[in-house]
Amino acid sequence: MKKAFLVSAALAALAGPAVAQEDVTLVISNSQWLDALRGEKLWAAIKAYEEVAPNVTLEQEAIPSKDYADRIMTEFGAGQGPDLAIMQEGVFYSLADAGFLVDVGEVAASAEMNKTIDNAVVDGVTLGVPWQRAVYALIYNKELLDAAGASVPTDIDGLIAAGQAVEAQGAIGFTSRHQINDFSGWFMDFQNWAYGYGVDWVDDQGNLTLNTPEAAEAVAAFKKVYDSGIIPVGDDMPTQRTRFKENQVGLSIDNSGGTLNIASGGTLDSANLGAAALPFPHPGAHQQMFISISQHSDHPEEAAAFLTWLVSPEGQARLREASGPDALATDVPVTEEFATANPWAPEFAELAQHSRSTLIPGFEVETGQIMRSVMEAVEEVLIRGTDPAEALATAQGKAEWMF
Amino acid sequence: MTDLLLQADAKTPVARSARGGIRWRGMLPYVFIVPPVLYLAVFMFYPLGRQIWLSFTRTRLMNPNRSEFTGLSNYERLFADPEFYMALQVTVVYSALAVILGVTVGMIAALALNRPFPGRAIVRAVLLFGWACPNVAASLVWLWIFNERSGVLNTIVTGLGLDRIAWLTTTEMALPSILLVTVWQVAPFVMLVMLAALQSVPEEVKEAARIDNADSLSVFRAVTLPHVMPTLQLVSLLVAVWSIRRFDIIYLLTGGGPIGSTSTLIVKLRQIAFENYDLGLASAYGVIGLILALTVAVIHALFNRRRQKRSQQ
Repeated sequence: MKKAFLVSAALAALAGPAVAQEDVTLVISNSQWLDALRGEKLWAAIKAYEEVAPNVTLEQEAIPSKDYADRIMTEFGAGQGPDLAIMQEGVFYSLADAGFLVDVGEVAASAEMNKTIDNAVVDGVTLGVPWQRAVYALIYNKELLDAAGASVPTDIDGLIAAGQAVEAQGAIGFTSRHQINDFSGWFMDFQNWAYGYGVDWVDDQGNLTLNTPEAAEAVAAFKKVYDSGIIPVGDDMPTQRTRFKENQVGLSIDNSGGTLNIASGGTLDSANLGAAALPFPHPGAHQQMFISISQHSDHPEEAAAFLTWLVSPEGQARLREASGPDALATDVPVTEEFATANPWAPEFAELAQHSRSTLIPGFEVETGQIMRSVMEAVEEVLIRGTDPAEALATAQGKAEWMF
Repeated sequence: MTDLLLQADAKTPVARSARGGIRWRGMLPYVFIVPPVLYLAVFMFYPLGRQIWLSFTRTRLMNPNRSEFTGLSNYERLFADPEFYMALQVTVVYSALAVILGVTVGMIAALALNRPFPGRAIVRAVLLFGWACPNVAASLVWLWIFNERSGVLNTIVTGLGLDRIAWLTTTEMALPSILLVTVWQVAPFVMLVMLAALQSVPEEVKEAARIDNADSLSVFRAVTLPHVMPTLQLVSLLVAVWSIRRFDIIYLLTGGGPIGSTSTLIVKLRQIAFENYDLGLASAYGVIGLILALTVAVIHALFNRRRQKRSQQ
């Protein structure tokens, strides 16, 4: 917050005449830098800023996604870390809550932001700009579904039937995270099932309500799919995505980022990949990533200037090329070439109109803690066959004890 | 007079030098001790002291320097949480079984390798692989081995006409599976240390026992085992302490699940520190783990003292 005036100064400097500036290195952390193809493309996209600002050198801090939250929060907590952090919404809210992020309201005002900016405003202060929004969809391998004589499912029974038909052909029916050792990814994926069955984790008064009939229905639906034998139990998500990439999987629920990963660099032809609405009665979730300036940065003005370029038409066009169908901070359509090569992409843009954040309103910082209780209840149902309502009542009890 | 003065002048530096040498030799142990003491102070005692202090405070991960002293409240919360008792139970069971199985398998391998046979060096090198392999790499390999659909173990199981086993995804099998990996990692170390101990057993004493018609089992019980017992106790202590604080294998294979069946104190500590951002409560978990490890060390020291008393009698 106290550095807000510096951001204004940076914007003024950008608008003013060019003067000799000292060389500056901006460190940007992101787990995506480690993604095989996407990481290189994203990095190349933002590296273009060095042409605009020759005195600035961008440097990566690449952290594996599984360790990202732990590491970045430890770094910030210790008064260190990168100048800019690209992070999931949950981490963003935790850092915002601790007061570690710089007000970038002026940066946001410099561009025509879309609704993805909404969640970056915390207590009236804009603490980041949207990097990407990856909405979830049901994706499928067209050839495998055709060979199995299965149609694109629109409900759970259809999903099981299609998955089993694919299994009968020797491939994997449906992939989904399903283990607690992949907790941070699993809880976000599971929000699709919850929202899909109309779950609101809080009531009108803002109280946590984990044991609603809708939540029990969502857990029961997941259990039904799990028990049908179409999920490769024990496979982690990278393995499942690789299998999809290699034409070994019929269906999955994945976000646009993951789908772009699946459609690139494998034997699966992107034109052979289909996307559809989730097989649930209600819309699903999205994963939102923000990019923010650290309060510990020694170069907040340069970092703000970089963000201003990033949300400008030039920066967004560069980011669009590397982001596939993900929604960005401003409305930049995918190129015609991309849309032709990836016919599944428009479905994601459509689903983004109604998707919801994976965070629980009013409990953004505590969402992980609350969802651990929920996912432990899901595990209890999957493994011990406990009644969903009973397991969720235990989760509710835990949540009440915690908060 | 002049001669005397000259002699005195000539002797003084020598005398000083000798005194300096004695003083220097007296200082020498301290000079050698200072680096490790400094190292331990910076990297062990300070963090340990800080952890103990944090366990009496309300400290958030995001603001570790803004602690608020809350007395025993973290311990009150910890003892009121049923998940703590489950984690404690899992830690004790896991550590005890890791010691029993790891030391037994390692000891058997050491006894086998203590006899000369063709290819012994190769077998020893192969058996050491588990110990030499980095934990993270080993865990990822084992994830594949345990894979329910396409893992090596289930390929063998289904080849035998049996049903697939959910190695890591059922409460019954998850802990035994983790123990299998632990034993695979720990047993080679035990084997190496015990092999060195076995090779130091005097051959003439064993020979004398054999001349007295003692069979192999009796020779082992009466000669070999007493000789290697101090090493066996020490290696058991090391394996126990390592098991209490083992994190990577468990976290990577199961993350403490399913349903907390492999959630040890250290796995729980990570969850509380990095998911709940509660460094105070996480530190209290760490202190309990420390007490557990110290208890094992004290038991070992008591055994040691009793053995020394017996040998003096």
